[in-house]
Amino acid sequence: MRTSIVLARLGLALAFAALATSAPAAEKTLVVGSSFIIKSLDPGRTIETTSNMINHSVYDSLVTFDGEDLRDPKPSLATDWKVADDGKTYTFRLRRNVKFSSGNPLTSADVKWSLDRVKNLKNNPAFFLNSVDEILAPDPYTVVLKLKAPNPALLPILASSSLAALDSKLVTQKGGDASADAKDRDKAESFLNGQSAGTGAYVLERYVPEHEVVLVRNPAHWRGAPKLDRIVVRNITEPASQKLQLERGDLDIATGLDQDQMKALRSAAGVMTKTSPAATTFYILLNANPQIGGPFANPKVQQAVRYALDYEGILAIAGPGAVRLAGVIPTSFPGSLDPRQAIRTDREKAKALLKDANLGEVKGVITYASDSTIWGVQMSLLAQKIQADLAAVGIGITLNGLPRTTALQLYRDGKNQLGVWSWAADYPDGQNFLVYAPGRTVGKRAGWLPEASPEARELAQVATEAETQGDPARSAGLYRKFEERLAQIGPYAPLFQPAVPYAFRSNVQGVTFNSVWGVDFWTIGK
Amino acid sequence: MLSGLQLFVARRLLLLGPMLLGITLLSFVLSNAVPADPVTANLGEQAAADPQIVAAFRHEWGLDRPLPEQYGIYLWNLLHGNLGLSISTRQPVLLDLQQRFPATIELAIAAMTLSVLVGIPLGVLSAVRRDSLLDQLTRVASLVGVSMPVFWLGLVALLVFYARLGWAPAPGRLSATLSTPPAVTGFLVLDALLAGRPDAALDTLHHLVLPAVVLSTYNLGVLARLMRGSTLDVLGEDYVRTARAKGLDERAVTLRHAARNALIPVVTVIGLSFGRLLSGAVIIESVFAWPGLGLYAFRSATSLDFPAIMGVGMVIATVYVAANLLVDVAYAFIDPRIQVGA
Repeated sequence: MRTSIVLARLGLALAFAALATSAPAAEKTLVVGSSFIIKSLDPGRTIETTSNMINHSVYDSLVTFDGEDLRDPKPSLATDWKVADDGKTYTFRLRRNVKFSSGNPLTSADVKWSLDRVKNLKNNPAFFLNSVDEILAPDPYTVVLKLKAPNPALLPILASSSLAALDSKLVTQKGGDASADAKDRDKAESFLNGQSAGTGAYVLERYVPEHEVVLVRNPAHWRGAPKLDRIVVRNITEPASQKLQLERGDLDIATGLDQDQMKALRSAAGVMTKTSPAATTFYILLNANPQIGGPFANPKVQQAVRYALDYEGILAIAGPGAVRLAGVIPTSFPGSLDPRQAIRTDREKAKALLKDANLGEVKGVITYASDSTIWGVQMSLLAQKIQADLAAVGIGITLNGLPRTTALQLYRDGKNQLGVWSWAADYPDGQNFLVYAPGRTVGKRAGWLPEASPEARELAQVATEAETQGDPARSAGLYRKFEERLAQIGPYAPLFQPAVPYAFRSNVQGVTFNSVWGVDFWTIGK
Repeated sequence: MLSGLQLFVARRLLLLGPMLLGITLLSFVLSNAVPADPVTANLGEQAAADPQIVAAFRHEWGLDRPLPEQYGIYLWNLLHGNLGLSISTRQPVLLDLQQRFPATIELAIAAMTLSVLVGIPLGVLSAVRRDSLLDQLTRVASLVGVSMPVFWLGLVALLVFYARLGWAPAPGRLSATLSTPPAVTGFLVLDALLAGRPDAALDTLHHLVLPAVVLSTYNLGVLARLMRGSTLDVLGEDYVRTARAKGLDERAVTLRHAARNALIPVVTVIGLSFGRLLSGAVIIESVFAWPGLGLYAFRSATSLDFPAIMGVGMVIATVYVAANLLVDVAYAFIDPRIQVGA
């Protein structure tokens, strides 16, 4: 009996010791840790964070951005473009001698087919092309986009990897369809989940859902062969686990960290930490519909909430790199307000406003996704902070933390009395944030419609005017006007723009992170 | 003529059908009772605000039909061996399950083997040397094993054996520097050997050790405690005294007479605890980045992916039934007096 115990113990010890043969990391393999948000790798069917990161390296779009800059669209598959005076026709000249990884040459027919497919699949990214009426390919190297109305955000939108050029010959052979009935006829998704069909620097070798994505270099890439041979993106949902693996050198880049891990990693040997601004706005929703908002539908109470919040403390929860917001448009976009214009904590003023509102004791319920951590910010921590800040001026808040999907449903149905949420840009333009206008997506969730007041109607008109301006400078001015008025009358309390926390081994060069596609693998070397 | 045992097995297998049907119904009703819409879980903010896209999504997944009709279609497909398409992976659920099940079962079997091979001898030894230091240690260790949250234990184990000591490899099923062998059986160790890749087989085994040890702690604790109690009961029985009186040496008395009989209640628990092991795998898989059913179940639940939820439910139920059936059959071998079919 004694022998069996000893044997069992020995067995365990041997299992560890004998097998402890840590393989040396291949010089040109990059291992990236990520908490996967991938529904598909078919560009026409996905706009999620992780799939954007993968697809940005596998496919190319007409335009792109450099590094963290999201203000200035740069040429990619298009070498240059012209915008007609009426702002409704964009003519792109295509780069010559670009080949897909299959060897097929890229022509305007591929671009047209790919954009038509996105439009007609009517899936998640289809809204990108809502303003596009028609896509034309007059010659093999010219693509023309005809718009229903001018759209100052068109170029930033076209940088999305969802709107990348697919190898139309190959994908059609594999069941792809771009016709008006593509929604029912296209069968190319499973092919595109196993093999890529782009012109990008890397080629998809393998995608195992919930586990990993493996990319290999595309030696025939038009910008020259990339610096790495292989990229392995691993799904590691636990931030603590990502931190351990980065410290041990098993991960080269960790993109799914939270603030606790970042604190510890700042002093870790051989590790660099960085933050990059995220195109996301955190805010409190105060329902303007009296039936749901109760006392919080009262503009004076809304203003009292804005004065009651301890913004310094809230920024500390958001972590290093987060920026206080005066409006709802992140500071990285044209049209955003200067953070110095933001409302400052003034609890006496908040109490006076509450007294003025004359509603007696003000109580409410705040709904949030208790299991959510967005860009390192824990929503439950944020909700607790809001509760404490409002209690300091006599507003009693009950926390209603729910699983993300359930909380999101209530928010989308406009049933939050108070809610703490974030809105992330799908493309880098202030236009994304017009959703806060009365009667638009977030406005409706806050029970705020144009008919609520003449001011609301006027603001709704400013939003419409801003998004149909052909001239970007003029639209930025209108975004600012929208923001300033929204800060005064909107049923929201804008909080901050978070920063994406990420870390990497110090031998990895060229790591940048932007909030549209995360890490750009093309710029990375080891 | 079928023997009693064969009849028993046949009856159990026949019962599996109605049980699986019940599970699909229960999962379907419960999934639909969740106050959230698959549209919310699967469409982005902008897409969900576009009625055309929402309508296309509902139509694509049959969500625009009445609930009984949706369930009816599911059953009809099920009868034809089709578990439907997963909303979140857009692959046939059957294929999804085939791809993930081996990873989980590999982990569960390794954990179960460990808990049986260590827990049972430890329990017997602890009973035989009652109140000795070994007994005290075993009791404390099994209590700790039973009460420790597996999630926390997993993180601590990673911190100690991976981060500090460097004995265990990084979480995952295979090192990132190795390419995955072609999937034949889905069991990575076997597939690696079939592909003539001993490096990959060894690497996979290395990756399996720590999650399996962590996953086994609860069962190991339960089995050790139960085996200890059961052995103590048996050691007080008349037939054990008789065996000793006959002059048999202590080893033979313990092994042949006491332990074998003490095993009967423990075997029942082994079957039942297999279900718990599978649910523990859900948590362990996220800590150890193990691409099995657990991560799939989590993803399906959070994205209200009804076909996938029902698929996972059926697989787990089948494994549970199969494990308990094996246990019942095992009785017949452990104790010939028990007639399973009777």
